[in-house]
Amino acid sequence: MSLPKGSIEVDHLWKRFKADRGKAQIRDKVARARSRAAGNKADRGWRWALSDVELKVEPGASVGLFGANGSGKSTLLKVLCGVMYPYAGHVEVSGRIGALIEVSSGMHPELTGRENTYLFGSLLGLPRSVVARRFDEIVAFAEVENAIDRQLKFYSSGMKMRLGFSVAAFLEPQVMLVDEVLAVGDASFQQKCIDRMRAVLNEGTTLVFVSHDLAAIEATCARGMWLHNGLVQIDAPVSDSLGAYRRSIEESAESAQAAGGPLKLLKVEVGGSGDEPPRTQEPLELRFVLESELDEQGLLFTGVSEGTASPIFLITRAVSLTPGQIEVRATIDHLPLPRGRFYLWLGIARKGRGQNLPWQPVTRFDVEGGLLDQGPQGIVRLAPVHVAVEWETARP
Amino acid sequence: MPEAVASPRTAERPPAPPPELLFRRRIRLRRSLPELWRSRELIRTLAEREVRARYKQAFLGASWAVITPIVLMVVFTVFLKRVAKIDTGNVPYPLFSYVGLLPWTFFSTSVNTGGQSLVSNSSLLNKVYCPREVFPVASVFVAGFDAIISTGVLGLLFVIYTFAPKVTSLWVPVLFVLQLGFTVGVTLFLSGIVVYLRDLRQALSILLQLGLFATPVAYGIDGIVPNPFWRPIYCALNPLAAVIDGYRRVVLLGLPPRWELVAPAAVTTVLILFLGYTVFKRLETGFADVA
Repeated sequence: MSLPKGSIEVDHLWKRFKADRGKAQIRDKVARARSRAAGNKADRGWRWALSDVELKVEPGASVGLFGANGSGKSTLLKVLCGVMYPYAGHVEVSGRIGALIEVSSGMHPELTGRENTYLFGSLLGLPRSVVARRFDEIVAFAEVENAIDRQLKFYSSGMKMRLGFSVAAFLEPQVMLVDEVLAVGDASFQQKCIDRMRAVLNEGTTLVFVSHDLAAIEATCARGMWLHNGLVQIDAPVSDSLGAYRRSIEESAESAQAAGGPLKLLKVEVGGSGDEPPRTQEPLELRFVLESELDEQGLLFTGVSEGTASPIFLITRAVSLTPGQIEVRATIDHLPLPRGRFYLWLGIARKGRGQNLPWQPVTRFDVEGGLLDQGPQGIVRLAPVHVAVEWETARP
Repeated sequence: MPEAVASPRTAERPPAPPPELLFRRRIRLRRSLPELWRSRELIRTLAEREVRARYKQAFLGASWAVITPIVLMVVFTVFLKRVAKIDTGNVPYPLFSYVGLLPWTFFSTSVNTGGQSLVSNSSLLNKVYCPREVFPVASVFVAGFDAIISTGVLGLLFVIYTFAPKVTSLWVPVLFVLQLGFTVGVTLFLSGIVVYLRDLRQALSILLQLGLFATPVAYGIDGIVPNPFWRPIYCALNPLAAVIDGYRRVVLLGLPPRWELVAPAAVTTVLILFLGYTVFKRLETGFADVA
């Protein structure tokens, strides 16, 4: 009550679920009661979905939530919007909440898009007159003008999500909660949604945004919170927490590296010219030592990424594999990377089909040198490539 | 940013929250009832949605609402009346049974659809916040919509049998409040429990079938409980009996309700309403976890 509109306060939030789900039948309850009566204590299987979560958000702030599947992101969002109740702790969200927990949440397939818009509006606690005032805007944003009087079951999932998002975003919520739903939209609509979220933020709405699309989080949120197994790992400015998250993905990928196989990587070296560390726009030297039991032609491909499996650039080279050790060297004259931490991935393809060495991260390295110019946040995510450029401005 | 902030917290998961932090739900009627009132537009939308979705696809449309009571009335008239001697007090039997069927159908439809309303709306329950009682309450409204249509048929029956409702019909609103209160109470109670005991849904329709015969729908209350001494107790156990008996007296016979039956029914209704709402609110905290 004392909190200003649009703020979120979560203190020591705990939430648990029954470990054996989906057994809401009388005979299961009877069986459970009987085993408890028989002195069986092991029956109380609970799984912690959230433990001791702390989250304080000021009005108008934006928080991105990320983490692996099952880490409690959606549960936290559900507790925030009041759908679920905490097991322990204190949760307070002040102001009207616009929540989009799932595609077509709060929508009924038998009703038309128009009827659903009003239904969703009343679920957000808005009178019909308010919905009617924004109706055209909502429909135009969702790009469903032609389908608005069609039953929702004949909508594509992208259309449903677009309508749901527009209703949630246009009905002037004070707190907006968006779960991983944008993934359903096509690329241009995703961009539109991100723009809209930023516009809503500018109007002073508080945003909590759950996504696996780290770039989208980086583009919209100032703060990032990483949940892992229901525990808050990091709650920090978005670049810091995303960086930590990316590194951890990387480390787990590295530890999952397969040993064995007919082709082994013995050694990887990454360095600048001489004994220098790698620097932007200066030479980068790569050295791989492989041990092969094979005798055939292969295609070596290696690339640099920010952590994920998709590389920023890729270089390839045909190599002839012979039993014994093979050394492969590569030099990149002008390293097109800005300052930061990068990961080297390597794979060796078989001539024809398949891979002798699966695409995997092999090492990480830090680049020193040029920092990218910071563009307006979110228009471009932090670009991973550094380009040497000469600018000239003149009056013709 | 200092490095310390950006490095993941490696702390082990604490085993459980300290007991003083446990979340306790306080049930305050003074806060939850106004909230329900603020959600009236939502209830209307939900009820409208239900009605539309139900009749949009059904071939016979709104006439389904009337078919159930009419078919039962015909069945009672053709079969039951032959087997048993039913005292209707000079009222045509179809009218007599139809007046009983109206509140019964309203009750059984409400309980049946309202009881399942939380489960069938689990897609909403799980994703959108609203006071949960809107779902069963909306079901009661839908049943009320059906009841209005079937009351129209009652008017038709009056014309067919050239039988005019008596002036004492002015008592109807009082009885209706009782009927509504009891229906809402039972619906709330059952809808909350069904979420946790899903197979109660199947049991529900059987129980309602039995209830039809435990209630003076096809016959008068005097046929079920001949001894006047037990009638108030019977009505305390089954308030609908007092309501139906009251409707017949005020609409068809021109007599005032039997207050010695209405009073115990009213007491039960208030208790059921209170119990139903409290149980519902108690169970509410876990709905989204299991739905």
